[in-house]
Amino acid sequence: MTTLFINDQEVSVPANTSILEACRQHDVDVPYFCYHPELKVAANCRMCLVEIEMNGKRLPNPVASCCTPVNEGMKVRTQTDMLKKDRKMIMEYLLIHHPLDCPVCDQGGDCKLQDYTMEHSTSHGRYLEPKRRTEDKNLGPFVSTCMTRCIHCTRCVRFAEEVSGTGDMGVLNRGDHMRIDSIVEGCLSSELSGNLAELCPVGALLDKPSNNQSRPWELTRHHSTCTQCPQGCDIIIESRDDEVIRIKHDPNGAEAWICDRGRFVYDAFRSNDRLLSPRIAGNDTDWATAIKKSVGILKGKRVGIIFSPFWSVEGLTAIRLMHDAVMHDAQVAFDLHRRDIRAFAFEEGMAMSSAAIEAADEVVILGSDLRQRLPMLMQRLRRRVNKGQTLTRIGAMNYRTNTKLNKDALIRPRDWPAVIASAMQQLMGINKGATGMEAWLKNITDRHEAGKLLADALLADSCALLVGEEIRAHDDAAALIHGIDLLMRATGHGEAGSDGRNLIPEGMNASVLSAVFGDVRVSAGDLLQAAERGELDALMLIGSDPLGDGLFPMEARRVLGKIPLVQVGAIAGEIAKFADVQLPAASYAEVDGTFINMEGVVRMADKPLRSLGEERPLWKVMMRLTDAMGASKTPVVSLPELRTEATRFLPSLADVFAGKIDANWRMPVARNKHATVLPVNVRPVMALDIVSRFSLYREGAWARASALLCEAGKLFCMADVLVHPQTLKDLGLDEGACVIRTASGEYTHHIGVRDDVAQGVLFIAKRGAAGDLSSESVANMRRV
Amino acid sequence: MISSDPSKVTAICFDRINIPNMHILDVAKKYGAYAFLPTVLQEMDGPKIISEVKTSGLRGRGGAGFPTGLKWSFVPRNTNKPTYLLCNADEGEPGTFKDRDLLRLDPHLLIEGMIMAGFALNVRDAYIYIRGEFLHEANVINAAIAEAYAAGLLGERILGTNYSLDLTVHRGAGAYICGEETALIESLEGRAGRPRFKPPFPAVEGFYQSPTVVNNVESLTTIPAILEHGGNWHSQIGVPNSTGMKIFSVSGHVNKPGNYEVPMGMPLHVLIEEYCGGLQHGDVPKVIIPGGSSTPWLGPEHYDVPMAYDELHKAGSMLGSGAVIIMDETADVVAITRRLSHFYAHESCGQCTPCREGTGWLERVMLRLEAGRCNAQDLVVLEEASRHMDGRTICALAAGAAAPILSLLKMFPDEVRSYLTESKVGGG
Repeated sequence: MTTLFINDQEVSVPANTSILEACRQHDVDVPYFCYHPELKVAANCRMCLVEIEMNGKRLPNPVASCCTPVNEGMKVRTQTDMLKKDRKMIMEYLLIHHPLDCPVCDQGGDCKLQDYTMEHSTSHGRYLEPKRRTEDKNLGPFVSTCMTRCIHCTRCVRFAEEVSGTGDMGVLNRGDHMRIDSIVEGCLSSELSGNLAELCPVGALLDKPSNNQSRPWELTRHHSTCTQCPQGCDIIIESRDDEVIRIKHDPNGAEAWICDRGRFVYDAFRSNDRLLSPRIAGNDTDWATAIKKSVGILKGKRVGIIFSPFWSVEGLTAIRLMHDAVMHDAQVAFDLHRRDIRAFAFEEGMAMSSAAIEAADEVVILGSDLRQRLPMLMQRLRRRVNKGQTLTRIGAMNYRTNTKLNKDALIRPRDWPAVIASAMQQLMGINKGATGMEAWLKNITDRHEAGKLLADALLADSCALLVGEEIRAHDDAAALIHGIDLLMRATGHGEAGSDGRNLIPEGMNASVLSAVFGDVRVSAGDLLQAAERGELDALMLIGSDPLGDGLFPMEARRVLGKIPLVQVGAIAGEIAKFADVQLPAASYAEVDGTFINMEGVVRMADKPLRSLGEERPLWKVMMRLTDAMGASKTPVVSLPELRTEATRFLPSLADVFAGKIDANWRMPVARNKHATVLPVNVRPVMALDIVSRFSLYREGAWARASALLCEAGKLFCMADVLVHPQTLKDLGLDEGACVIRTASGEYTHHIGVRDDVAQGVLFIAKRGAAGDLSSESVANMRRV
Repeated sequence: MISSDPSKVTAICFDRINIPNMHILDVAKKYGAYAFLPTVLQEMDGPKIISEVKTSGLRGRGGAGFPTGLKWSFVPRNTNKPTYLLCNADEGEPGTFKDRDLLRLDPHLLIEGMIMAGFALNVRDAYIYIRGEFLHEANVINAAIAEAYAAGLLGERILGTNYSLDLTVHRGAGAYICGEETALIESLEGRAGRPRFKPPFPAVEGFYQSPTVVNNVESLTTIPAILEHGGNWHSQIGVPNSTGMKIFSVSGHVNKPGNYEVPMGMPLHVLIEEYCGGLQHGDVPKVIIPGGSSTPWLGPEHYDVPMAYDELHKAGSMLGSGAVIIMDETADVVAITRRLSHFYAHESCGQCTPCREGTGWLERVMLRLEAGRCNAQDLVVLEEASRHMDGRTICALAAGAAAPILSLLKMFPDEVRSYLTESKVGGG
């Protein structure tokens, strides 16, 4: 620790802290533009000048506090006559070319430049010469520019280089010809681009969708939790009356940024796709009629329920309560992305915090498009690589990460047993094996060289394994995860405290789901197939869209329309046209609710947006239905009662609801030590493996209801089916239309080539024309 | 030959400069180049060399005047990173033209100096960052390096010793700011030349985040003589705290402008009268810019100032790179200042607010002033905008841009006032 004096106040900060950071930490106001705690220091705005005195000697010139480290005994002054003049002059320099258009600028009222002008500047400038002319750029659907307002702080440039890794903002020219420019016209290539508008201290880069819609002082800010991915970032929803204006990141939240998916999904809240009143056969009706109709469909019938994991803990508990009270014979499924329903040795959820993953000695991504799935975690890994640490990946596609991977291996999903087997063999070769490996290896004769990357990483002191969708969706996932579990335990990454086993979940509340539904869940695929065979009389979809998401679109398509369907949800979507009854439930932004993210961290949404229609929180819908179905007693009638019930399934929630947890509290991930599933040695009967693409702009009912995300999805679309050129050559085929033969039939699709797909893999754009192929895991291909 | 009696030394860097074909290795060797190198490589070691250079009192000749030996001693050892030696040959300060002569006329002296410095600092790769406009000079030094490689003076195991050094020339692209050492490093790394803030200093984290020493051409060409004759010898030349010889690039209204290597501390009027053939007009100069265009101006009362670091500082200016610009009474100081403002506005890298916005602003006001379209209020702007650039930025370019204007306003208020609109109305 270093002790110094800020305006005669003695303070202690860690050594090498910058003076500015020391001031910020002790609530001493030092104005600045270019500094940002998450970005490298640029020290170019010169607004943060302070005067310092060292060893009793006052320095003749002020220093920039952002780039000057503290020193023992240093005396810092932040308010002197010299600084007053300096700040006034810096403001005058900055305002030379800045237009006086605050009344029409969206930043007005929430603008550093404006605030500092009032605080430090004079009322008029003395610059009489010709002014600089600038050009505005088309940066795509999310960020608008007004470059006359730019003050060249280079925050956006540093963000593009360090955080998004895309480097698509830059500085051109020198002197006062210097300008911030985008290297690419038309579209920023980052999934984090929306942060640029928040980052810009002036009105040069603005949020394009909400531009010219509102003024900051008209807005109400609602703290909420984003449920667009398992990360569950803290967000601030800004609304004016009932209109949602935009979503911003929460400055007090855990992550410094939010992704474009979580930010620009806001237009879905007020989209036409919202389910705002109960409907029967597509026509609005009242709750009583709709409930009555639902009871007719569900009561005494064999029902299949598929729900989405993105509801709050309270909503999910209510589903279970309804099930137990009146539908205990119903089949329940929630995971559209898991074929293998057997218990996993380590269930969905992260054993490590994002910060711990970032800091681990080795990080290995196993089959995941992390940039699309978890943009915030990917951003942290990028920062890790920037610091010179390693990152390894094994998977079916060279998913773009916008960072450097030290080791990267392309494999087919069918190679996973061989990869795990060779890693096991390598460990056993150096006496690092574990009991159970021999048995696991017995059936697997193939070996794959990518196993070496895995085994090498496992030998590090701390290793974070990020197990992704390619393994989780595997037909033999439980066996693969058992194999990985053996590897991790053999190398000391399996115990509490050093647990590196992170299975990336599909949605929020992963640990809650395994606790509340672990004993009743079935596979969504099996459920849909049972319905197809006539073993079910009715379906109930609670926020789930098996047509649009997941691995069972074909199964869903064969069933929907042929079976009575009750839809409960916030977004109508494609399912709506098959639904007999639709019951509106409030969205994640419109409820008081508890969410547990993939790390087991609790996020509370406590200042909800007002509902626009007749939708009710999911738990109330469930309870009303339970009542109407003839329950002897309504299980719960209030939120506190519901929460008490939830603690019955998951006792650790008691502390959560009682507010007794601190910031470090985390819900543990479920482990099944006895899930010793051995791999089967059945070679796939077809030549090619199917892998489905996850696009953050198109996945999920919310994203599809957002016009903004759909527009971005079009900009970032890829060919319907992609294969490696060598795959086509081996099959004697050419780019263009080909017939894909699967167990369920033959489909003609346009095939594109890309050499970053693993050979032998059909890469499917899930929301494209070929999306339904996601139901299959293997295929053959032939000429039309 | 350089005398080992300090009182008899007439030149160090320029000792062989007038001998024809000195850029050819055989000629250079005949006159003593590389003669002492084997002794250095075989009998000296890093700490010994650094201590000699410290004793010598040599201060960096590029402009800042930082003690060279001290700079070298800041380089951390055993960092598991390579140490780099960069020669700053991006001579761009208006008025300075000394390094150019060293590069084109005696390149082997620089190479020898770099081998010795590299050896002292345990450098494996060294670079010469040469000003882009110096095409001929780059060709000469490249040819000399090729000859040195062929003779076993560079590359693997120099002269059969265990020391290896590779030397590469990199040509700049014409930016003045790349003469600032951290901008030079940025440029050499392949980025736009924009100075870095310090700390970290290059000695700790420079080229590719590794320990790096950046030395001026003249500093490096002084090293061979210091090692041959000893630091003590060097310290006895010149005056205390400004030891050794210094090349002064004298330009302006003198009869014989050019490069002159003289002992430090020589009074300016002696340099001008005895070496440069005196002033073109009058007995005393109107303006003295003692250390390159970025240094504050001195008036005729300082014509006898000793050309040494401390004395010039006391007089209110700096020795800088030793580029002496002399103006006699025929000089139009407003026009000259306007021209200098243009230079700095053109060369500002644009990252710091005061320099980016200030240099252009100052130039435009100066243009108006020269054209007679300024009023007294504009002079306040000139003064304040200059004063708040000085010392408020990452590098010293803004201070350099402010210096001429502040000097002009301080030294020639009447002349400046005669340019104002109200003065022009009557007399024209």
